[in-house]
Amino acid sequence: MVQIYFRAQDKTASVPEGTTILEAARRAGVIVESPCNGIGTCGKCRVKVCGSDREKLVCEEGRHHLSEEEVRAGYVLSCQTKVYGDIEVDAASTAAQNKSLKILSDGQSFAYAIKNHITKRFDGEKTLVYGGDTLLGEEPGDTTNAVYGLSVDIGTTTVVTALIDMLTGEELASASALNPQSLHAQDVLTRIKFASDPEGLRIMYDGITEEINRMIAYTAARAGIRTENIYEAVYSGNTTMIHLATNVDPSSLGRYPYTPQITGGNEIPAKMLHISPFGLIYLPPIISSYVGPDITSGVLASQLEKKKGTTLFIDIGTNGEMVIAKDGSLSATSTAAGPAFEGMNITCGMRAGRGALELFEVGDDGGIRTHTIGDTAATGICGSGLLDIVGELVRTGVIGANGKFVTPEKGSYPENLKKHMVLLEGKPAFQAADGVYLTQKDIRQVQLAKGAVRAGIEALLLSQNVRAEDVDLVEIAGSFGYHLRAKSLIHIGLLPREFEGKVDFVGNTSKSGGKAFLLNTDLRRHMETLAGKIEGVELSNREGFDKLFLSALSF
Amino acid sequence: MTKDEMYQKLADAVVDMDEDLVRELSEQAVAEGIDAFEAIDAGLSAGMERAGKLFEEEEYFVPELLMCADAMNAGVEILKPHIQSAQTGQKHKIVIGVIEGDTHDIGKNLVKLMLETSGFEVIDLGRDVPARNFVEEAVAQGAEMIMVSSLMTTTMDAMADVVTELDARGLRGKIKYAVGGGPVSQGFADKIGADGYSKNAADAVRLCQRLLK
Repeated sequence: MVQIYFRAQDKTASVPEGTTILEAARRAGVIVESPCNGIGTCGKCRVKVCGSDREKLVCEEGRHHLSEEEVRAGYVLSCQTKVYGDIEVDAASTAAQNKSLKILSDGQSFAYAIKNHITKRFDGEKTLVYGGDTLLGEEPGDTTNAVYGLSVDIGTTTVVTALIDMLTGEELASASALNPQSLHAQDVLTRIKFASDPEGLRIMYDGITEEINRMIAYTAARAGIRTENIYEAVYSGNTTMIHLATNVDPSSLGRYPYTPQITGGNEIPAKMLHISPFGLIYLPPIISSYVGPDITSGVLASQLEKKKGTTLFIDIGTNGEMVIAKDGSLSATSTAAGPAFEGMNITCGMRAGRGALELFEVGDDGGIRTHTIGDTAATGICGSGLLDIVGELVRTGVIGANGKFVTPEKGSYPENLKKHMVLLEGKPAFQAADGVYLTQKDIRQVQLAKGAVRAGIEALLLSQNVRAEDVDLVEIAGSFGYHLRAKSLIHIGLLPREFEGKVDFVGNTSKSGGKAFLLNTDLRRHMETLAGKIEGVELSNREGFDKLFLSALSF
Repeated sequence: MTKDEMYQKLADAVVDMDEDLVRELSEQAVAEGIDAFEAIDAGLSAGMERAGKLFEEEEYFVPELLMCADAMNAGVEILKPHIQSAQTGQKHKIVIGVIEGDTHDIGKNLVKLMLETSGFEVIDLGRDVPARNFVEEAVAQGAEMIMVSSLMTTTMDAMADVVTELDARGLRGKIKYAVGGGPVSQGFADKIGADGYSKNAADAVRLCQRLLK
């Protein structure tokens, strides 16, 4: 056995020789961010090993993510480094950065009457609590004036919980947090893999349940209500998140034909939540394995099927989920954009936390205007900043239509921008801020990600037999989407030019739609029927998707 | 034009993605009685190899690579009927496909294209292919190599089953096995006991040339 001491956390793991630092950290309860779940590709799990202790290590591949400077300074990838002697490790706490994560908690909504699934009746001695027609339980005394519910949006990255007074529809308090599952596995697929054995599923399920319970306690305290008077929670999220949050093995979602194990559109007991002992969880209907309840909630919040003309609803994230509605006829699809939009696999990429460059603009004179989260010096680029930089550089001709940097010698772009073109390890790069660069490789990642989303849009347009110019309204949902700017999306070609002037950012409709599901039981039945009628367009089986994707890669 | 000048021009036209010029030059080569096999090998293929290099240097991206391949294929179509059969020799056969459970095949198609333009014969089993099928097909077709890709972390583990199948038939090392795809790395290839890994389509060509030397 060898001892690994984690200095910052003052914790020690005692593990067999040959264990990786990441495994040791997990056993010791030290959180090392490992978004790719230890396959050595994301480079985010780097830790510093103290001095001469390095001789007791064997590093495997994966070093390509560490610069020479980092290696000299003693950094290793914890997932690729096996330990053969006692060592001391400095693993930075991720809590500080995550605390400043930008999370959007509001979304557009519509007018609906309150018609709760949960009802109460006082019989003179006790209060009877019903879920629909079923008697759920009883409480002593008259509690009819205390009926509370939760709209929980379980995002892959963030979780938002709103506490709602179900008698008035008023939102009393809300809380948001990083989805704790993302510390073990960042994207949907690595999370499916992580949870494909019982132990992994337990960690995922316990993690999210604990976090939701924490938010329940917090919001209830803020609102000054008793948690026992919360009777229902609506879980909105992508199909995988809903599997994990209800303790259902998600493995089948990770293999063709990608079949979900649950269909949603039902109420289940909420035994694991610290709410009323006979509380329920409502799961909105699942449209398909990659178009989940979060999108159903979005369709509801946007009232898509009621809209005249053609509307395209898109949730941009690691997966681009989208629904097109043409006079009440709906089809939906999902494309794998990959993690570039979350700042992953990008040289200076980071999440939308403190120090992230989130806005970038080039003026007519070539002057650069930027904004950084927390108003500090930029330490990296988050998704919205990335799309801004690429969008502006494409617009000004620093990046050509083929995605390649145009060298200052050949380019006819403003002098000031030429000054920002530098050589990084011998290759052209754009310096967006001090020490923050956009490389050619980063542009390729953006091309792949936006190409996937654009190809999905084109496939959906084809499914309803409409052209881009026929689209009347484009709604961009999701907290990531909210920080994007329409012109950048159009400049990089993620959206067709024809969408200019038609783009509306609708915010977190997963949450606002979830709230509508909570407060009106008729909407549940309505959406359960509608979800069955939405045509699912499966892109990977679609003839000619290759061509759509390839032609969407250029700018 | 000397034949070396012709080869150079063919190669340049491929790199420049100039399909029309490739066609024109190929017809000229035929008319001038330049050896068709060499025109493909020292001209078109050499151009494609340069295109692959530009791809790796991030000068070219997937669309450019495909346009280069289109240009090359336009030339091959014209030159091929003029190849003397004795010259063609035996091409190395490679079985390729996407692992079971996965339907993402754009990357695999690109590797296939690059291998074909580099003179390999590629037997494509498509996507969602069980490990056993790769080995059975390789044996049936007399292929020297199997290449498997996966885009999903959830399906990549099944790539190890190809090694198990090869072992079970005593074919390990006799039929070479290489892996690739988004979540796959050299470390993963080593772990499952594959003979090779390539990080992109251009790299895949070199890998095959090395393993089948």
